Amino acid sequence: MTTTFAMPLGPVHVALEEPVYFHLTVEGETVHKAELTSGHVHRGMEAMAAKRNLIKNVTLVERVCSLCSNSHSYTYCMAVENALGMGIPPRARYLRVLAEEIKRVASHLFNLAIQAHIIGFKSLFMHVMEVREIMQDLKETVYGNRMNLAANCIGGVKYDVNAELLEYIRTTVDKVEPLAEEIREIYATNRLVLTRTDGLGLLPKEDALALGVVGPVARGSDVRVDVRKDSPYAAYPELTFNSIFEKGCCVHSRAMVRLHELFESFSLIRQCVERVPDGPCVAEWNTVGVAEATARTEAPRGEVFYYIRTDGTDTPARLKWRVPSYMNWKALTVMMRECKVADVALILNSIDPCVSCTER
Amino acid sequence: MSDTLLAILHMCVFPGGAFALLVAMFFKGLDRRVEARLQRRVGPPLTQPWIDIAKLLTKETLIPKTACRSAFLLAPVFGFTGMAACAAFIPVPGVFDGLFNMGDLLVIFYLLPIPAMAIMLGGSASSSPFGAVGFSREMLMMLAYETPLLMILLAVAMLTGKAMNGGAWGAEFSLLNIVALQQQVGSFGLNPLMIPAFLAYLIFLPGTMGVPPFDIPEAETEIIEGPLLEYGGPLLAMFQITSALKTFVVLGLGVALFFPGTICDIWIINLFWFLLKCLALMLLSLTLVKSAMGRYRIDQAFRFYVIVPTALALCSLILVWVM
Repeated sequence: MTTTFAMPLGPVHVALEEPVYFHLTVEGETVHKAELTSGHVHRGMEAMAAKRNLIKNVTLVERVCSLCSNSHSYTYCMAVENALGMGIPPRARYLRVLAEEIKRVASHLFNLAIQAHIIGFKSLFMHVMEVREIMQDLKETVYGNRMNLAANCIGGVKYDVNAELLEYIRTTVDKVEPLAEEIREIYATNRLVLTRTDGLGLLPKEDALALGVVGPVARGSDVRVDVRKDSPYAAYPELTFNSIFEKGCCVHSRAMVRLHELFESFSLIRQCVERVPDGPCVAEWNTVGVAEATARTEAPRGEVFYYIRTDGTDTPARLKWRVPSYMNWKALTVMMRECKVADVALILNSIDPCVSCTER
Repeated sequence: MSDTLLAILHMCVFPGGAFALLVAMFFKGLDRRVEARLQRRVGPPLTQPWIDIAKLLTKETLIPKTACRSAFLLAPVFGFTGMAACAAFIPVPGVFDGLFNMGDLLVIFYLLPIPAMAIMLGGSASSSPFGAVGFSREMLMMLAYETPLLMILLAVAMLTGKAMNGGAWGAEFSLLNIVALQQQVGSFGLNPLMIPAFLAYLIFLPGTMGVPPFDIPEAETEIIEGPLLEYGGPLLAMFQITSALKTFVVLGLGVALFFPGTICDIWIINLFWFLLKCLALMLLSLTLVKSAMGRYRIDQAFRFYVIVPTALALCSLILVWVM
């Protein structure tokens, strides 16, 4: 007599924000095998990119993903600038970091809120979302949009911030920081959160290295990768911040990495506000030649990598990108080894998956 | 004949049936509202539970092709009748003494698990894998919280029995006598011997009502409502009404067992005093707990119930036995 049965999870499921399908082989409450199928939101974006000109593609790649939309347009612009041999003005370098870090705070808070939602902790979910809402207001005030900031353009940034806006950003960060401190305290000490997340979904350091995971997933397993430090770009070399590493290798340590990173981001935002130099926001264009180039940045979920090949026309011959969720995806099979049905969604959320990024 | 008529009246109008339903739905609305306020939301209007039921009643009844039709249809009716009958046994001190004067505590103990059984029946009849997982979780939860409940009831019965026999060993399973005795000698909830049992009862409430941290059998983000996943329309409405009635029953039972005191001889004031105590019990053990906690995993919840409330209830039982 067989004691296992098949259980579908997804593609439409309350705990998932985006469609992905798990075929679970379950015995009682224990998952023996988790097979993952994706492809529900493939939009053929790389092919679309090869039909649009370089400028139109900025708008396209920003729509690859919602939560790290800014990182996509940023990395794309960086790749084009590398291919064209352009530099960007110092003011633009700081303003780009500013947008990146604001997005990072909102993205991390969102992921933490969803974790609370999955463990059924509604009040904590509401609380974290309320704090995130302040960051959303900040984005809307500065950039005019809550999700897709449309902040970057090739050669610099599209917007400029005046002294009044900088002051507003600073006061908002001052307002959010104590609230974030409170949230960190809750995640670090609440009995229930710890019971559900500590020691769950283990990804040992060796496995993390072998699978090449990136971002907070890697840093939660004490793998020392952070593109901002490893291959500094924009204004990061001039700013002081720490990369956060945790040794727990579990869902809780990944959450703690994100929580600690919030404070590094606050500090980065403050430094940008203080030090942003005067000057133009956009550089002059160079002529498009035959070239290929790459660029990588640290998105909230990890390393985003762009490759571009130009053939002298205004349309790229090839544009290819690799997103962090694609690298972290495979690690799920390690994390979900013999886990409980109750923990599947929790483990999935801990890699902060972005399905539309991965399938583009 | 008139006794039978009276019993039917008690089941349909007061305290079971209409009265229980009105109170339960009001409590449910209030519970949602208070929870929302604790989360800095506005919350739904107090009539929302009624609106939900009304909406569900207008919906089509869908039965999955692979489901066991009769059991699937019968399960909500089974749960509802069980709870509707059970509500008539709840005494309202100073207003209504309870349906029978002997052994009604045992009847309540047997009727209480019926909604959980109905959910198990419906879940397994729905042929959904989520229903199957929900079934096993509901079963485990029942095993976990019924044990402390039995011990609590035994402790109360023994304490009453001993007092009525003048200190000799005895057990009294009539709620009428349990309530009457407490009105003479003081509430059991204030008796040092019974405080552990009262705490155990407070812990029993969220488990039996399936609210966080013990909403495991119907965990939305894990098994999408589990056994109730395939239910919709009037059948789901029936499950919701059953759950509301069960809230009334367990709260009323809690008041009868631990705080049945009355404040005067006017029945209407006693009625409101009873409802106020029920409300306090609900806010304390359901609403506050719900908004301050997340959800345990089934193995963690089972371990918790086997250790904490069982130990507390056993503590009272032993104290009552030896004192």
